[in-house]
Amino acid sequence: MESVITAKGLSKSFGSFQALKPASFEVPLGRIVGVIGANGAGKTTMLNAILGLTSFDGDLDVLGLDPSKERGKLMQEVCFIADVATLPKWMKVGEVLDFVEGVHPKFSREKALDFLSRTKVPLDRKVKALSKGMTVQLHLAVVMAIDAKLLVLDEPTLGLDIIFRKQFYSSLLEEYFDEERTVVITTHQVEEIEHILTDVIFIKDGSVILNEEMEDLTQTYIEVMVRKDKEDEAMALGPIYKGASFGRSTCVYKNKNRDELAHLGETRRLGLADIFVVTMTGEGQ
Amino acid sequence: MKTFTALLKREVLEAKNGFIIVPMVLAGLTIFLVLMTLFGVGELNLIKEIDRAEVQNLGEALALAKSEEAADLPAAITVGYWAVSILTWVAFPFVVFFSLLSVLYEERRDRSILFWKSMPITDWQEVGAKFIAPVVLAPLCFLGITIAAQLIVAVLMSITVLFQGGPMLELWPLGLMIWGWLNAVQAYFIMALWALPLFGWLLFVGSFANRLPFLWALLVPGVLMIVEGIFFDTHHLLTWIGTHMGAWQDLAFRGVRVDIEGPRDLFSFLTGSWHAEAYGYALTSGSFWLGILITAGFLFAATEMRKRAATN
Repeated sequence: MESVITAKGLSKSFGSFQALKPASFEVPLGRIVGVIGANGAGKTTMLNAILGLTSFDGDLDVLGLDPSKERGKLMQEVCFIADVATLPKWMKVGEVLDFVEGVHPKFSREKALDFLSRTKVPLDRKVKALSKGMTVQLHLAVVMAIDAKLLVLDEPTLGLDIIFRKQFYSSLLEEYFDEERTVVITTHQVEEIEHILTDVIFIKDGSVILNEEMEDLTQTYIEVMVRKDKEDEAMALGPIYKGASFGRSTCVYKNKNRDELAHLGETRRLGLADIFVVTMTGEGQ
Repeated sequence: MKTFTALLKREVLEAKNGFIIVPMVLAGLTIFLVLMTLFGVGELNLIKEIDRAEVQNLGEALALAKSEEAADLPAAITVGYWAVSILTWVAFPFVVFFSLLSVLYEERRDRSILFWKSMPITDWQEVGAKFIAPVVLAPLCFLGITIAAQLIVAVLMSITVLFQGGPMLELWPLGLMIWGWLNAVQAYFIMALWALPLFGWLLFVGSFANRLPFLWALLVPGVLMIVEGIFFDTHHLLTWIGTHMGAWQDLAFRGVRVDIEGPRDLFSFLTGSWHAEAYGYALTSGSFWLGILITAGFLFAATEMRKRAATN
């Protein structure tokens, strides 16, 4: 399978602080990868390296290019929305489209206009006069109208209300994503992207501690609501995380046979957010 | 090329206030003052000083000038248009100064740099466009507006003279006017070539200063001059900067005899006789070439700073 991002020993230090510890991973074409980690875990540092926005150590290949040397060329195939509002505030919406049309060979003005026509974003208004939601819609209209192979979204829906967020992800999935594209996305609202992800990468304190396909991941972690009389047995199986709910203890197991666990109590698959929490706090690392 | 055009267009759009609105306001003020004068508010000193009974208004003054100084009149009219419209250029040095200083500073401050960097544009293309816009496009905008102002003044005066019954066509020495405009480009070109390292310095300051680029731009050379004065008791840096700001003319034209007797001499002096000396002096001056080299250094440094700028 064609690889979009290949990192070998990718790391980044700011002085003596190692923001990203040597990490090796590969992102194939046609995936939606969630990069999940606490604030300051190194997510943005990793994305910045991939986007050629920062220098790094180790080997990094993005679509056959070295991002630190060939950012200009790379951006023909890669789009990104950073974690802060970056659209130039002094520009009018129409001028933003003019500009991108002027500099990006793979931008389709028709597509962008089509997308914007379904929003309330007025073409003759300045970006600074748009609401936060409209600004994100405009940015999304721009990147979705670019025929890129890799789209990187760093907290794209930060500060937006739930309706905008839902619309954002459904447009992304329905109108943009296909097997010829890869999307890398970071967000704190894990529940909202869980259903669209194909792969996840967890980062903790600058280390990549997990890199798996969603399907495998949800099969790997199983939570059991342990029956009172099975508690000793449950503990003996070595849960990676223990909790309690409704007066019963719950145990989370990693890589255990589901049938084997079933007699301990009711089993269920863990959501991504829960998997993240047990991985970060429990012994699941 | 399409990319670079789009970049330049963006620069002009962003600097629209300085490049277009400010000179338009000043040109408008010029036209307003000319209009007031034509309507008789205040007195035309020129006409009053003529102190001849038959000269009561602009039309008659023009007729008199035509009969007595026919050879000088076209040049006098052309120089006159420049004298009136020079007001437009008052803001020009400030516009260039602050544009160069802010182009690489503001995009970092408002984070729009991350949007520009998401486009397939190299950093040197960006820095190039940000340098060319204030240094080349700003003066062209100012000149275009000056030309428009001169034409409007000429039209207003023509209408006045038409009513007063004077030789209206004398107000349209078109050949000289066009020659004057072309020479303004020429004069700016050589001035700007000398000033390039100063322009480059301003752009470079904007690429690294995290705040107060204005102070950085002035304090660094200021402190260096003081240090030089204290430790070496010399003023090379001050002299060098002065030379590149315009004092080179003093050296270049030292041997030139200025012999101006009337508008024609003045106009031909302003528009031609200095070219050979100016270029000759520049091309043989070590200071000039050092300046070009330093400019390249500043542009390179600004590009390198911009490469690293997104992630502070």
